[in-house]
Amino acid sequence: MSGENTVREIGHDEFDPYGTLALILIYFAILSVMWVFMYFVEFLGNDLTVLA
Amino acid sequence: MNIHNYEKLWLVLAMVMIIGFISTVVYGATAVGIEMVNDEGGTIDSTALEEDDRFAEPRVERVGDNEYEAYVVARQFIFEPDPIEIPANSTLTFYVTSPDVIHGFEVVGTNANAMVIPGEVTELTVELNEPGEYGILCNEYCGGGHHTMEGKLIVQPEDEFEQGGNDE
Ligand SMILES: [Cu+2]
Repeated sequence: MSGENTVREIGHDEFDPYGTLALILIYFAILSVMWVFMYFVEFLGNDLTVLA
Repeated sequence: MNIHNYEKLWLVLAMVMIIGFISTVVYGATAVGIEMVNDEGGTIDSTALEEDDRFAEPRVERVGDNEYEAYVVARQFIFEPDPIEIPANSTLTFYVTSPDVIHGFEVVGTNANAMVIPGEVTELTVELNEPGEYGILCNEYCGGGHHTMEGKLIVQPEDEFEQGGNDE
């Protein structure tokens, strides 16, 4: 695998895409906040809820 | 199989999130008591509503302490009775049906929103705690006058409520 232009070779577990991880964590945080807002504020807070 | 640690992390987070979604819905259904409008209202002969005790005379009826039932006919292009009047702090069950075409029954700006189908009785129960006024509208296109099809739900302060429509 190591050719002329290879600067550094790393193994499977040494590769740490922390940028991707950060993006995914932000995405998860947004989803969680939006879910809480949608369900608890917009839906449960929208009174005259059907109870039977 | 060799799964990268980060990948394990977001797989786990995705599972946690799905479990979270499901458990909030379960919480709503059990602790809060949210129900879906279903077919438990039963069926009815849509051509003979005038022979039905509930819908021959659309009205609000008191069925218990703070418990009321509203028998509502949604037809082109009105809701009967209109307005629906109820005292505050009561539980109201709507029974809604249609003699003609499919209508909608939506208490505007709330979760009380259902379809009204000829031949079926739509049943939904809500709690009305605060005095106030709500619009009711038809949200299923039902003909040329659809845009004018509206009604009113008036929640009266408890001490001011008198049963107007019921001659007894
Ligand atoms: Cu209509």
